[in-house]
Amino acid sequence: MEYIILAINAILVKNILLAQYLGNCPFMGVSKKMETATGMGMAVIFVITFATSITWFVYHYILVILQIEYLQTIVFILVIAALVQLIEMFLKKLAPALYKALGIFLPLITTNCAILGVAVLCINNEFNFLQSLFYALFSGVGFLLALILFAGIRGRFEISFIPRALQDTAIALVMAGLMALAFYGFLGIDNSLQALMMK
Amino acid sequence: MKEYFRMVAVLTIIAALCGLLLAAVKKGTEKRIEEQFLLNVQGPALKKVLASSTNDFIGDREQITIDGEQKVVFIGKKNGKSWAIAFETMGTGYKGKIGVMVGFNLSQDMISGIGILTHQETPGLGARVSEAVFTDNFKGRAINEAFKVKQDNGIIDAVSGATISSRAVCSAVKKSIALYATIKDKVLGKK
Amino acid sequence: MNKTISQEFLKGFWEILPPFKLVLGLCPTLAVTTAVENGIGMGLSTTFVLFFSNVIISSIKNLIPKKVRIASYIVVIATFVVIVELVMKAYFFSISQQLGLFINLIVVNCIILGRAEAFASKNPIYLSAADGLGIGLGFTLSLILISSIREILGKGTFLGMQVMWDSFEPFAFMVSAPGAFVCLGLILGIMNLFPKK
Repeated sequence: MEYIILAINAILVKNILLAQYLGNCPFMGVSKKMETATGMGMAVIFVITFATSITWFVYHYILVILQIEYLQTIVFILVIAALVQLIEMFLKKLAPALYKALGIFLPLITTNCAILGVAVLCINNEFNFLQSLFYALFSGVGFLLALILFAGIRGRFEISFIPRALQDTAIALVMAGLMALAFYGFLGIDNSLQALMMK
Repeated sequence: MKEYFRMVAVLTIIAALCGLLLAAVKKGTEKRIEEQFLLNVQGPALKKVLASSTNDFIGDREQITIDGEQKVVFIGKKNGKSWAIAFETMGTGYKGKIGVMVGFNLSQDMISGIGILTHQETPGLGARVSEAVFTDNFKGRAINEAFKVKQDNGIIDAVSGATISSRAVCSAVKKSIALYATIKDKVLGKK
Repeated sequence: MNKTISQEFLKGFWEILPPFKLVLGLCPTLAVTTAVENGIGMGLSTTFVLFFSNVIISSIKNLIPKKVRIASYIVVIATFVVIVELVMKAYFFSISQQLGLFINLIVVNCIILGRAEAFASKNPIYLSAADGLGIGLGFTLSLILISSIREILGKGTFLGMQVMWDSFEPFAFMVSAPGAFVCLGLILGIMNLFPKK
């Protein structure tokens, strides 16, 4: 039950893109086309889950024991960068089809703040390993969901009239705001779920 | 091969230099960070529960080990004599842990006051446990009183609509009372 | 090299003013601009990291083998981010609590890695320093602009002081997540009204 709430929370209520402001650069960059949006979303789910589980172990079994928690940022970003490289190499060798689909997005992911952000959030919230894993996975799913919805709407921009100054990124940001407003409504779900759990 | 070696060497040197620099900065800021943390997070609550102390109770804190667990105890002094101690305990509220700073008057074995340090309760409902109306419930009570909300036959007026949060604070206070005797002996024994 | 230091410095204020002209570094822009104080804190932290990472990377650019350059840049940037993190905690505790996670995230702010790769790795130290400082301060000004709008409309205050009339009802939408997106989008739209060179 706890995990279901965590999942709903991560996907809808605290959507990393629209409520936590993480990962907005690729959000604007790749959402122009549906295929790239799906590809990026999938790649993020993949990397975020791996990265969060590894950084969780690194934090609790290396940094804490050596008492160098203050190096968290530098260690995490290096782990993520190395991981992305490894995944890229493995995919190239073992799953060429998958590599073809996700490959070009992988290098961009290192600097996607959603990955580092979620890894750090799990540590800050003192999640245990399973909670971190769930949280990361479903944050990724939330990212994909928001990205696909957004790409769908952005496709409509092509055939609608938009004032010249607002074209492209400007209207996309306003649109993202409206979407965030819609996701804001899910806060109500959160409260009633919490109440349900308490009973 | 030579290029490979150079790559590894350059990265190692950069990482080592950065590591050294950071270790130095860390050493330079460590003490101040800890003090700032205590001052900003625990300071306001401490000022309330150790009011009328004349010493710098953040500077005069002590680490005490109970059952293998470290506990930071703040000691309030008046005219050079320890008159009160305060430490933090946790209760589980509606949305997560509530950290409560509980202060004890040493000579009268009563609660000198409590302050809420951290919580994630709902604003306007559970969050109201941090208001003086609720926390003053505990002030000046002897430690053997029934620290339960009135719904559970206790003496504490729960915040209306936030019984769970109120219970959590009560349970944190009860936890600290359970630790109080041991900590009191240790603090006074040291002197 | 026909560009001067002042040109490199000034371009960060309009020509490639982040985050508007370079659509990079959106996350901190959206997240921390609920209060002017946070905007200034974030902007100056980013400027600090950008300036020093640009200088260091520019001075060691010839020593770094091409294949590991990104990794080296990241190590250098992350080091300065950790320094900022520690110094903020020691001297500006309340702001560091407000910014929280987003101080760590300066490390993945695309503006910084972007400048390292696009500018500092190709230009001499003094130009890289001017570039870092210019873009950093431009970013700071943008953050101050956005956070002023959001704080004044959303809370009726500026730097924590009441500036609106008493009966002013704070427009809470502005300080929430949706407001951040809409506000940034509209500012960008207004900036686009001015013709590009």
